[in-house]
Amino acid sequence: MNPTIRRLSTLGLALALPFAASAADYKVGPGSTLGFSGKFQGQQFDGSFGKFDAAISYDPANLAASKFDVNVDVATAKTGDNDRDGALPGSDFFDASKFPKAHYVTTGFSKDAKGNVVANGNLTLHGVTKPVALKVAFSPNAGGARLSVTGTVNRLDFGVGSGDYKDTTTIANEVLVNGSLNLLPK
Amino acid sequence: MPLRSDHARWSPVAKTFHWTMALLILGNGAFAFWMDGLKPSLHKINMFALHKSIGLTVLALFLLRVLWRTIDRRPHDEPAPAWQKVAAHTVHGFLYLLIVAIPLTGWAYNSAHGYPLQYFKQFNLPALLEKNEALSNALGAVHEYLFWFLLIVLVAHVGGALKHHFVDRDDTLRRMLPFGRAKRNTPTLPGDAP
Repeated sequence: MNPTIRRLSTLGLALALPFAASAADYKVGPGSTLGFSGKFQGQQFDGSFGKFDAAISYDPANLAASKFDVNVDVATAKTGDNDRDGALPGSDFFDASKFPKAHYVTTGFSKDAKGNVVANGNLTLHGVTKPVALKVAFSPNAGGARLSVTGTVNRLDFGVGSGDYKDTTTIANEVLVNGSLNLLPK
Repeated sequence: MPLRSDHARWSPVAKTFHWTMALLILGNGAFAFWMDGLKPSLHKINMFALHKSIGLTVLALFLLRVLWRTIDRRPHDEPAPAWQKVAAHTVHGFLYLLIVAIPLTGWAYNSAHGYPLQYFKQFNLPALLEKNEALSNALGAVHEYLFWFLLIVLVAHVGGALKHHFVDRDDTLRRMLPFGRAKRNTPTLPGDAP
């Protein structure tokens, strides 16, 4: 490499660095939902968390600098069935008095075979931390952006459902997670 | 042994329908009172699912039984006063009605409550009604009262059979017993070759 090119590439790197270090920061706006779908006795049920918060830094052109950090109040889960909603925060499931929050934070982003962006991160739920990948769809709009994520969580990996409730022939292990966030500039 | 009943005896198919359903209906009724007293748990949920599956089995057997009836023959009524014959057939009518109504109100109760309905963990059946809590409570009560009504009708059904057996000493009960054999003490009607 000749000295001129070396000097120029150093300059290029120096110019690029400030951009690499930042992606747009967003906060969660109204109309955002964080939901999940499970299966009970062979039938799907849908639920959502009433209270959650997320700090989103995202730039589709600069995934290295992007980050999701999400906190969820697990006691606010509602599925449209009084019995189930009464049981979910209890010690057999989320044990919300002991573990009030679930936390998801990304460790990096990648692309799958179809070119979809995948967020790789760690989910802490019910006191257990395990990697969880989420498929990401991001579309900027006039006011900010729409961010949709979908993924799968195996409830038993996190000890959600203890004792008898481990029975996956009645309550499926797989739970689909879906988030649809209305992002506003921070 | 012929599959169809004749003028004097019930066939093994008719007997199998009769006794299998009797056992399932009474067993499922007793089971229901036991499971109702369980503490809330997944075990209780699974026991309720079993009760529902047995009830659906009764409903399915009933449909098959009615289909079978259309190709089967029936033994003649044993001699009895006309009013007793009418009473016996009315009781049968009520039993048939209740055998359908009890599972169906249970199914509707389950639907109105918003529960899934899974047959022995194999496949799901659709809801009969939209979710409706008030209606669900009413249907639950009707489901149970109909079972009490069934027991009352059953007293007449069993009482009649026992009266024929011990008082009239005829074949009414014997020809329906699993291994019972008709005494053939009724005169063969003209044109009814054995």
